[in-house]
Amino acid sequence: MAVREYLIPKEGFRVLFFIGKGGVGKTTGSAAVSVTLSKKGYKTLIVSIDPAHNLGDVFEVKLNDKPKQIAENLYAMELDMEKLIKAYLKHLEENLKHIYRYLTVINLEKYFEVLSFSPGIEEYATLEAIKEILQKGDEWDIIIFDTPPTGLTLRVMALPHIALIWTNKLIEVRRKILDKRRAIENIQGERKFVVDGEEYKLPSREREDPVMKELLAYRGEIEFVRDIITNRDRTSVVAVMNAEMLPLYETERAHESLKKFKIPFNLVVVNKIIELEEEVPKIKVRMDAQKKVLRKIHKKFRDVNIVKVPMFEEEPRGLEWLERIGGLIVGD
Amino acid sequence: MLEGLKAFLKGFFSSFKEQSTEYIEFEERELENVFALLLMGSFVGIPSPPSTLVLRLMPHMVREIYVMQRRVADMDDIFGEMAGMFDIT
Repeated sequence: MAVREYLIPKEGFRVLFFIGKGGVGKTTGSAAVSVTLSKKGYKTLIVSIDPAHNLGDVFEVKLNDKPKQIAENLYAMELDMEKLIKAYLKHLEENLKHIYRYLTVINLEKYFEVLSFSPGIEEYATLEAIKEILQKGDEWDIIIFDTPPTGLTLRVMALPHIALIWTNKLIEVRRKILDKRRAIENIQGERKFVVDGEEYKLPSREREDPVMKELLAYRGEIEFVRDIITNRDRTSVVAVMNAEMLPLYETERAHESLKKFKIPFNLVVVNKIIELEEEVPKIKVRMDAQKKVLRKIHKKFRDVNIVKVPMFEEEPRGLEWLERIGGLIVGD
Repeated sequence: MLEGLKAFLKGFFSSFKEQSTEYIEFEERELENVFALLLMGSFVGIPSPPSTLVLRLMPHMVREIYVMQRRVADMDDIFGEMAGMFDIT
C-alpha cells in the first residue's frame, strides 16, 4: 500500500492535527506517525499543545518549548500554556508603560487583571502558539500537533473563523470613526487630544492610525492561519478513537464541526483493538462489542480512511514500537 | 485696531467652524464610545472580541477610553446634552 498522500507535504509544509477523547492514544499515534515520516526523510516537528503533556514520556526524553532533536529529521517540543499566557501579559505591560501615567488616572490596572482570567484566554493563547509555529513553518516539511482532548481543540480550530468576524466588524466601526475624523479635520484642521498634560494628535487616516494598523495586522495573521488549516493540500486532521460507543459519538461530532469550518478531516485511527486467537469467553464479549462498533465506524465515515491499530501486549513506547505503529497509520 | 479686528474675525470664524462640526463630533464620540465598549465586553458580560486582539489594541486606546469614561459620567444628564446640542435652553 502506498503512503497516504494527505499525510505528506504537497504544497509547502504539511500540518497534521491529532484529535480525540482523552486517553485514546493521540499522543502515541501522533508520535508514531512523526517517527515514521521522519524515517522517510521528511523533516518533522511534533508539538504537544496539550496542557497535560506526555509526549516526552512517549519518546522517553524530557522536552521543553524549544524543538529538541529526537532522531534524524525528528524534532519534538511541548508548549507551556501557562508560561505563554504570562508572556502575553508581560508583553502587554511593556506596551502600556508609555501611557502608564494616563492609566493611573482612570485606574485600568484592575481591568487587565480581570482580562487575564477572562474566558477563552487559553484557547486564544493556543491559537497564538499554533500561529507562531505556522509562521516559522517553512523550516519543516511536516508539523504534527498533538492536541488536548477534542472539546478544547475544536474550539481552538473554530477560533480563526470567529476572530475574523470580530475583526472585520471592528474594522468597520473603526473606518466610520476615521471617516468622521477626516470630515471634522477638513474644517477644523489637524486636531489634538489632550489628556493629563499629554498631547496626542488624533489620527484620521488608516495608515497612521495605530488601532487600524493593529486590526489589519491581526486580520492578516488570522487569515494566514485559516488559509493553512482549511487547505486540503496543507492540513489533515486525524481522529484517534477506541472501538467504543462514546469515542465514536465524539468523533462524529468532531467530524460535523470540522466540516462546518471547512477543515479537512481525512483519517480515523481506531486504536487498541483486541485481536486474540484463543477463545477466552470474557474477552470474547469485549471483542464482539468492538467488532460491532467497528462496523458502525465504517458506516459512519464513508468518506474517511479508517486504520485499525491492535492492542499490543506491552505499552508501545520507544522509537521501535512507535515506528511499527506509525507504519500502520501512514500506510507502508 | 487692525490687530483687534483680525483677532475678532478669527474668533468669530473659529466659533462658527466649531459649531459647524458639533453634530459630527458628537457622532464621532458616540462611535468611539461604542468601539471602546466593544473591547470592554468581557467586563459587562457581553461577548467580547478575541482577547489577544483586545490586548494588542489597548495601548492605542487612550482617546476612546477617555471618551467612554466621560460618556459614562455624563450618562445621568443625557437629555441635557441633547438639549444643549439643539440649542434648547
